Amino acid sequence: MQHPHRLIALAAVAAALSLAGPAAAREVSLYVTVEKDGKLIGGLTEKNFRLYEDGESRPFRLAEPETPASIALLVEYSRASWPYFNDILRSIEGFFEEAPEGHWYALATFSNDLNVRVDFTKLRGRISQAFTDLPPPMWSEINTYDAVYEMLDRMSRLKGRRVLIVIGSGLDTMSSHTLGDVKRMAERANVVVYGVGVGSMFRGMWEPYLTTTARMDLTMAQAFFQMLADRTGGDAWFPRFEAAFRDVMEGIMQSLAFQYRIVYDSQVPEDGKFHKIRLEAFQVTDDRRIDFRVRVRQGWRR
Amino acid sequence: MQSPTRAPLRTVAEWDLRAWTALLVCALLVYMPTAAYAAKDQPPERPLPPEVFKPLDEALQKSYLELFDEASKLEFTPQQIEKMRQYLKDSRSYCRRLWAGKIDQWEKELRAAQAELRSRTRTLKEAQRKQYHCKIQNLRLQIHNGRMLRQQAIPTAYENRLAKLDLIEKWPAEEKQIRAEIASGAYTQRKYGDVLDIGFRDVGRGQEQDVKVGRDAIREMKLAGLMPPEVKNEVVRRYVTDLARKIARNSDLRVPVQVTVLNSKEINAFALPGGFLFVQRGLLEAVEDESQLAGVIAHETAHAAARHGHRLMKRATISSIIYQAAQVAALIFTGGAASIGLYYALQYGFYGLGMILSLDLLGVSRDLELEADQLGVQYAWKAGYDPTGFIRFFDKMATQEGYVRGLSWFRTHPPFYQRMVHAKREIMFLPEKKGLIRNTDAFDRMKKALKEVTAKAEEEEQDRPSLLAPETGCPKPQMPEMKPGKRRVETVCNIPID
Repeated sequence: MQHPHRLIALAAVAAALSLAGPAAAREVSLYVTVEKDGKLIGGLTEKNFRLYEDGESRPFRLAEPETPASIALLVEYSRASWPYFNDILRSIEGFFEEAPEGHWYALATFSNDLNVRVDFTKLRGRISQAFTDLPPPMWSEINTYDAVYEMLDRMSRLKGRRVLIVIGSGLDTMSSHTLGDVKRMAERANVVVYGVGVGSMFRGMWEPYLTTTARMDLTMAQAFFQMLADRTGGDAWFPRFEAAFRDVMEGIMQSLAFQYRIVYDSQVPEDGKFHKIRLEAFQVTDDRRIDFRVRVRQGWRR
Repeated sequence: MQSPTRAPLRTVAEWDLRAWTALLVCALLVYMPTAAYAAKDQPPERPLPPEVFKPLDEALQKSYLELFDEASKLEFTPQQIEKMRQYLKDSRSYCRRLWAGKIDQWEKELRAAQAELRSRTRTLKEAQRKQYHCKIQNLRLQIHNGRMLRQQAIPTAYENRLAKLDLIEKWPAEEKQIRAEIASGAYTQRKYGDVLDIGFRDVGRGQEQDVKVGRDAIREMKLAGLMPPEVKNEVVRRYVTDLARKIARNSDLRVPVQVTVLNSKEINAFALPGGFLFVQRGLLEAVEDESQLAGVIAHETAHAAARHGHRLMKRATISSIIYQAAQVAALIFTGGAASIGLYYALQYGFYGLGMILSLDLLGVSRDLELEADQLGVQYAWKAGYDPTGFIRFFDKMATQEGYVRGLSWFRTHPPFYQRMVHAKREIMFLPEKKGLIRNTDAFDRMKKALKEVTAKAEEEEQDRPSLLAPETGCPKPQMPEMKPGKRRVETVCNIPID
């Protein structure tokens, strides 16, 4: 035997691999919204879905959504929010009218830091009450990244179905967390995020007078909400008119009511890397496959 | 080229007045804040010799009812009382400063822990991450509890102590005055002095107009998701309804009373216009006998009977108030109003022991509270209950539980001393009545049934998600323990006690 040490090394590696075995399976829950031409599609069964993790097909099952859901509102509340404060009020008002009974609701606001105003309660009226009882905002900072990061971090440790509705401009002034930090947290937290962008009308009025840098900031703000929605399987809206904010809240609540829950056992290793998820939803009618638009988290980190 | 000449440095001996003054100011600027801080860092010295301090301190631990009986026998000079008052005020300031310092320290530790977590987040194992999360969560809890103590508990505890000191000082003279009024018969001329005609006198004319308003308010509150679920237990519901009806029959309320028991741990009860009474589970848990509960329900019945809600109310619905909230936003942003909640209060005749709204902002609620205290004492007495039940419950809340659980109870109400004396004065004016009820078997049965309701509610509460403490399995943070009945405020403030 010319190279016994190589064989020993190979044997050791093989033994280590066999001891470690495959990564322990972990149950993953996906909340999925299915749409066609802007209409929510209900009544689909398991045969209408295909699931791929890191490009490989995975077995799954459809399960009942976990109830009650934990739904948190994160609201921008800064002195700088004043020009579009009516948009924020309209959103809260819309939420107040559309939120169904039976879920857990919480309210947090942010400017330079995050403030939990109402911890989870089933009395959703406490949210609007707490909001109307808020003292005047102290700071002009809008640290959106820090607030979203911290909320996702806190919510990641809750059990069951978790939803975060962010109402704000999407602008960020002095956060200590970067966009990348928030993105990674969104991938890890398994919280569905809905973004409601406020200030579009105000923005439209001042559009011709904005500098290139200001325009870039505003584009970034919108892109931030869109990124959160895409990463987590939520949605993002940027209504131009005050009256539309109530419709947006109605849309979010409908979306939640129509969501499917897909459960599967993931085998991916605990490597902290991003594992891509792809879900197809379709219906076959008269041998013709009709594909639907699917909103689901783009992947996850273990 | 000649270099510029520099003025020679003066020796100390050559310093003029200006130089000495400058030195003195500099020294003061450096020394004063340090000295002031150092001075503040010590608990205040006891201003009285032990043979005076100890009995006075012991007297302040007694209940209001005991003090009403004993105040005239206590022999403390006005100077001693004044020194004690100053000592209590200094202790309150010291205690609040002490907690401000602790909160600052925890906030620093929190920021440091968060920064450390952030710098290491990508390399941490799950167990290590959990350790950080637990540390951050506990620091947040400590800060939250510390703020509660500093802003609410400590001031409430000292306000109660100062009220008792006022009582020791002023009650003997006040009692003489009351006895003189009784002897001369002048007391019958007081407002609502015609207690033998309860139910037939002119109190709260037009109550029937309030019924629709109250019903609308309840519907709005339910739609708005502001109404906690009801207690379903029949024993509890029946007991509270019977008690409230008994009091209503012996009051000036001329519309039927409608009672709802809400399944909420808040120590609270409130009345809506038109005789709609809401009693919360927490109140039923807190009362010790039937006369205490009767006192609270009678107080709420008085609000409805005297139409206090109507006096504050303008026609509006919750949704229109929210609409108005947008209009007052400008005020908020310019600091013109304390909160939009004021507008709820202005628009809605909402009354309760621990109102969720800041009615004290209106500046009129204190008079209405005193009026409800007076009428409430009368109704409880007329219904055959010991009217001191109200005072005893107030005392229990202020002394034992007030600054732990029932804080909202005190937020909108008149000063303790004024309120207690007002109630006691009314009790003294009431005609003597034998066989006043303190407790019944029905009350004990209700308490027994309530235990099941509470146990079930606590079980459900355990499943409640939380943004404040989302990490499970963390060791509990170290917080000062406050046992009922002990002189807790000194304990949490490191003020020496005998």
